[in-house]
Amino acid sequence: MTNVPILKIEHLGHAYGKFQVINDISLEIPKGELTALIGPNGAGKTTFYNVVSGRFPPSKGKVFFDGQEITGRPAHKIVPLGMLRSFQITNIFPELSVRENVLIPLLLQHRRGYTFFRPLSREKQLYQKADEVLSKIGILEYGDKPARELAYGDKRLVEMAIVLARKPKLVLLDEPTAGMNPEETERMILLIKELAERFGTTFFLTEHDMKVVFSIAKQIFVLHQGGLLATGTPEEIRASPQVREAYLGGGTIKC
Amino acid sequence: MKKQPNYPKTGIFLIFLIGFLIGCPFFLPTYWTFILGEILIMALFSMSFNLLLGYSGLLSFGQAGFFGVGAYAAALLILKGWQSLSLILLVGVFSAALAAVVIGFLCVRRDEIYFAMITLGFGMMLFTIAHNWIELTGGSDGLPLAALPTLRLPGLELSLFDPRNMYLFILAVFLAGIFLLWRLVRSPFGLILTAVRENKERLAFVGADVRMVRLTAFTIAGGLAGLSGALFCLFNSMATPDFMHWSYSARPILMTILGGSGVFLGPAFGAAVFFLLEQVITHITDNWMIFLGAILIPVVIFFPQGILGTIVKYFDREQETDRQ
Amino acid sequence: MESLVTNLLNGLSWGMLLFLISVGLTTVFGVLGVLNFAHGSFFMLGAYLCMQVMHVVPSFWLGILIGPLAVALLGVIIEKLLLRRVYDRDVSFQLLLTFAILLVLDDAVRIIWGAGYHVVDAPKILAGTIPLFTHSYPVYRIFLVVIGPLIGISLWSFFHFTRWGKIIRAAAVNREMAEGVGIRVPLLFTAVFAFGSWLAALGGALATPHQSLAPSMGESIIIESFIVVVIGGMGSFPGAFAGALLLGLLESFGTVFAGRAQMALPYILLALVLLIRPRGFFGRET
Repeated sequence: MTNVPILKIEHLGHAYGKFQVINDISLEIPKGELTALIGPNGAGKTTFYNVVSGRFPPSKGKVFFDGQEITGRPAHKIVPLGMLRSFQITNIFPELSVRENVLIPLLLQHRRGYTFFRPLSREKQLYQKADEVLSKIGILEYGDKPARELAYGDKRLVEMAIVLARKPKLVLLDEPTAGMNPEETERMILLIKELAERFGTTFFLTEHDMKVVFSIAKQIFVLHQGGLLATGTPEEIRASPQVREAYLGGGTIKC
Repeated sequence: MKKQPNYPKTGIFLIFLIGFLIGCPFFLPTYWTFILGEILIMALFSMSFNLLLGYSGLLSFGQAGFFGVGAYAAALLILKGWQSLSLILLVGVFSAALAAVVIGFLCVRRDEIYFAMITLGFGMMLFTIAHNWIELTGGSDGLPLAALPTLRLPGLELSLFDPRNMYLFILAVFLAGIFLLWRLVRSPFGLILTAVRENKERLAFVGADVRMVRLTAFTIAGGLAGLSGALFCLFNSMATPDFMHWSYSARPILMTILGGSGVFLGPAFGAAVFFLLEQVITHITDNWMIFLGAILIPVVIFFPQGILGTIVKYFDREQETDRQ
Repeated sequence: MESLVTNLLNGLSWGMLLFLISVGLTTVFGVLGVLNFAHGSFFMLGAYLCMQVMHVVPSFWLGILIGPLAVALLGVIIEKLLLRRVYDRDVSFQLLLTFAILLVLDDAVRIIWGAGYHVVDAPKILAGTIPLFTHSYPVYRIFLVVIGPLIGISLWSFFHFTRWGKIIRAAAVNREMAEGVGIRVPLLFTAVFAFGSWLAALGGALATPHQSLAPSMGESIIIESFIVVVIGGMGSFPGAFAGALLLGLLESFGTVFAGRAQMALPYILLALVLLIRPRGFFGRET
């Protein structure tokens, strides 16, 4: 029976020199459960994401993806297993067209990356798939535009398209609504909800905007000073005195 | 993707250019045939270099090393009596590609700045080997060739000592090389290469082994540099260590920057400009390098897209405003 | 035994010169983020200007005073006029610019002083040889072996104990933070670049009695200092020291057991370091 959690972390820790950034984190994310990671600045969220997504290996602990151990594997070896991530600072291919941005993960997925002599334009199947992704996200009209010409919010959507092109099982979203205006944020929330429902992709996001977190997350992890402070449903987290205390120093939980 | 101006005009222009190039040796004085031949070889060398700079974002200061490997491979085979030109060229390509794979493996592990330093270092290592391994390479004298294989075509046997034949042979190889590069940059791999330059982190995070991509590009560039080197050896009837000195690595760099790394034919254009400049300046003074450096400085600061790049950008902007 | 000592002293004296040049290169890189391809040209200019001064006034000490200062001034001009314009550009353009400067400077040297060799004699106090076991050894090289660590310690003390030294180190680690606490970064950049050029030129001036001058000096030293900083770790002071000594000793002892292949040794060392510890002995994790 596939009740294997899509992501399982065991006693994860990472230190920069003497400074312990994250310490002894253990958690599980069931398949399809939209989960959020919150915590004040400096709590270690980005480091946590970096370690899980393969940017660098952790000092200690283990990471299991869909039952398979992936601790310490580099990003390009984790991606084919079905985990992709977005970045806090939009990470796309600015000079390439929006369509080409999405074509790249598809080429890699279908092992067409090392095709040397066929013209790219012959990859009609992949172009079709790219357009499907673009229309799902709602940016098909920009297909031919160089990605750098798009508005900030649309660029974030391009990144979403890149991340979703390979139909991943798990997507880590690092502050997906960072820098967005309320309208764009609303759009992103709806998009994530819809994609999670329609395709069963598990989204694991980290956010500062509590409105986003509380409107879509089914499970919330609270990170504080490198350790896991609390776990629970949005209601439980809202009610938790420890969480309130942790945030009193750095911020408030407005929702 | 690189802006390819898909005007039918460009196609027609290119056909005329190729026609002109083919006809050149028949109506230009021999001196110019020689110059053109050298331009073509250097253009091929620069185009191979631009696969790294313009397309993968890698600035290599050691391409002359692979150029030299190709030259020496050709020279050694000819001295051993090999007669098949195509095989000689092929061995030139493969030996240079082999050197590139080995050296590239060490270089692609680090990024831009380190990459520049290390490629310079290893390029000079190859120079040092060529300079000192007298038994194999003839040391600083190099390997002069008394005889060249003849060019065998169905029904013809042409001597490469005839400047016209040599030039047309070079032109043929050049066109083949350019065609190969053209297909390469238009292929899926070409897009991946551009992605490496654009945002290698994002590329890794969509599943590409960036090191492997870079190594592949480096190997192909090295192989084509070797092809140019082998041609150069035939052209000069010799192979010398100078071909591998970093000052030779500087040539494709300068030609590419002059012409423009952002346009497919930029480096070839730059090669032509470079040689024309050389002709002009050496008439006035002996001090060529200082002028080169002095020209390069404002180009790098004010015209980073190079001459052809600036022209193309101008026409693209014209097109944009026309559309509006 | 005695050839061991000779080789040791040769390796150390050359290592000290390499150290001077490399520490300038690595400091400029650490603070400005720029790899100066023309750094070897500064070394060469320091040597040639020292020699030139000595033609006018036969004083070595005046030569090593004026030569490097003149080069430092050149460094200021280059940084303000040229380098500044490409700080915000792609790294490749910075490299290309410093490379173009190398072309200009190297050819300028050739034009001004000619393509031939020049020889400079050591000053009287440091000239000649002293007896070492059964042979004699040049005094000047011993001088280099002694003065190298002295300069090294002064530099190290400067970086660690003086206010300016700490500011430079802070800026090297975090430019924005340095700006945030009121350090005028553009001024700092010019100063550090001038300092680096000065160090390279000082190395060149000190090298004049040690080796003959030729317009190819610049290019051979730049490659060696590249190898030193890659081995030692970019931006690392102790790395430059360790790397320079290692390379100096390797080259010195290399002639003993490797003969002609000795020239390949630095590259083999480079290759080994790249395979085993790509960031260099003292380099930081990228």
